[in-house]
Amino acid sequence: MYTRHPRRWSKFALLGAVALGLATAGGASAAETGRLLETGSSLLYPLFNIWVPVYSKSHAGVQITTQSTGSGTGISESVSGLAQIGASDAYLSNALEKQHPEMLNIPLAISSQMVNYNLPGLNGEHLRFSGPVLAGIYQGKITKWSDPEIAKLNPGVKLPDNTIVPVHRTDGSGDTFIFTQYLSDTAPDWAKSIAYGTTISWPSVNGALGAEGNQGMVNTVNQTPYSIAYIGISFKGATDQDKLGEAMLENRAGKFVLPTDATVQAAANAMVAKTPKDERVSLIFASGANSYPIINYEYAIIKSNAGDAHTAQDLKTFLRWALNSGGGNAASFMQQVSFVPLPASVRKLSDAQVAKIGG
Amino acid sequence: MKFRTILAVLAGLVPASMIAILAFLAIYAWPAVDFNGISFLGGMQWNLGSLYADPVNVGGVDILPGAGYGILFLIVGTLLSTLIALVLAVPIGIGAAIFLAEAVPPRPRLWLSFLVELLAAIPSVVFGLWGYAVVVPLMAHDVFPAMAQMLGWIPGFGEPTGSGFGLLTSGIVLSLMIVPLIAATLRDAIDSQPAAVRESAAALGATRFETVWRVILPGLRPILIGACVLATGRALGETMAVLMVSGNALNTLPQTIYAPVSTMAAFIASQLDSALQDPTGLAVRSLAEIALVLCIISIAVNAAARLILAGFDPRDRRGA
Repeated sequence: MYTRHPRRWSKFALLGAVALGLATAGGASAAETGRLLETGSSLLYPLFNIWVPVYSKSHAGVQITTQSTGSGTGISESVSGLAQIGASDAYLSNALEKQHPEMLNIPLAISSQMVNYNLPGLNGEHLRFSGPVLAGIYQGKITKWSDPEIAKLNPGVKLPDNTIVPVHRTDGSGDTFIFTQYLSDTAPDWAKSIAYGTTISWPSVNGALGAEGNQGMVNTVNQTPYSIAYIGISFKGATDQDKLGEAMLENRAGKFVLPTDATVQAAANAMVAKTPKDERVSLIFASGANSYPIINYEYAIIKSNAGDAHTAQDLKTFLRWALNSGGGNAASFMQQVSFVPLPASVRKLSDAQVAKIGG
Repeated sequence: MKFRTILAVLAGLVPASMIAILAFLAIYAWPAVDFNGISFLGGMQWNLGSLYADPVNVGGVDILPGAGYGILFLIVGTLLSTLIALVLAVPIGIGAAIFLAEAVPPRPRLWLSFLVELLAAIPSVVFGLWGYAVVVPLMAHDVFPAMAQMLGWIPGFGEPTGSGFGLLTSGIVLSLMIVPLIAATLRDAIDSQPAAVRESAAALGATRFETVWRVILPGLRPILIGACVLATGRALGETMAVLMVSGNALNTLPQTIYAPVSTMAAFIASQLDSALQDPTGLAVRSLAEIALVLCIISIAVNAAARLILAGFDPRDRRGA
């Protein structure tokens, strides 16, 4: 069955399709909405999620999409140019920085990390752990909760005889990076055999579990009695809601502290003077009686030759807002995720790096 | 003539793409194959090395200090989870096929078969999420402790029962994904048997069950084997569902049936962004080597299945 004038019909259809295509293409360039993709650290993700709605209200011409994929992905997608902002708790290694000298590591805030556990009946107590004890647990040298090494740090607490289930991150994780830095700084045999990184070869421990993302860690500890895990501070709301135990960690002065604003600020005050111009530095194991041992900069990994001039301008405007103490670095944002704003000296260094972003 | 060449080119694209994929994988993974050698298949340590140390040169190849790649735990995890899936799925699949072909009147048979085949249409990530939300807690709190108590005397079935994430849970979720393959294929085959066979069996005094079990099924053995091998191929390559319920064990072999494992496909998916952190690139190429091994195993299994199934026409009764 043929239509009356088959050739004319198909010509109109073709013209219509071309017109539609041109219209959409023209429409896209006419709207000029800048698009920024942020991907990476699950520790920084909650902060970005409260930043973006506020920022978008005052800056309608930019659309920022956020993803929680792990610091490893944040670094690799920023290096490859897939994402404009790679969120990461870990700075680039020397080798990666040498391979990609155009990458900038820009701290946006100071965060910290908790050690959480699920001990039926004992989650209200803040059990004490030291770096060597945690290293022993994750190496499989300390297998039971009632081990004398743990009991020594927690006199008077009735520890159960169950097997410890250590939980680690399976994805490339900035939390793994800072946790293993703490273990490396405190336990020499860990430093020699395993060292630190966003991914490490976890020693084989019977029954150890892997989880993806900070939320995965929270869920796994919640579902698994007698487990222990390292979880970013921005998930304190979730761990408190699930009534998980929060540990006191031993700092360099030998005191046991919880991650509070005061202890994190004390550690920051002791360590920020060491920050170099490229801002790649570890803040782990600060000295000071009241310092919390696991704190870190939250980095935005940015390519300095970021695509076209428009994207570069959008990036700079956003980052300047994020670094501003009246904008993203305001206490109202930081308190919601238990972060600490950047000290003025570090903010100056970060601003200097933002200025390097050019089209 | 022109139409024929166009058809030939288009048809040729399919095997050409399969060869292209294999070739790409082999070429991309070659530096890793060269570096890892045969200890890749037998080694128990997957170690990216010290990511934040400077690369060193070992035998002409730049690697991170401490890097070494061995995937024995992955091969064991893949084979064991597939084995458990088959042990669970084959009896259920045969039972479902017999039930659907024999015991159900024609009208409901259509709908029930439809439902069984729809099970195969559920995306694997949905299975994974259901497994994570429902199966894992159920196993951890109720089923595994009961199993450990009743079956604890069998080696590998005793305490500790773990957290629900592990080998047996992966096997259960995988078996649900491959049951429709076996049940649908076998039910079609049983249905297509000529009525004369059933009538002669009935004439000899066989019950309905005896007819199916002793007369029809033995003749369909090649089809059953073919369907099972096809199901094995599917289970071997299953990624998302296993990733979410297997516990993601690293560098350990499971001590009990409840212990966490890792399979090759799930490992590649979960380790890719970590591997991209390696400035020498060897980690990504080693992942490609895992992909190559998995590809070869999968192709071999599927080829075997197709050959077995192709050489058999259910209407052509030989033997039995």
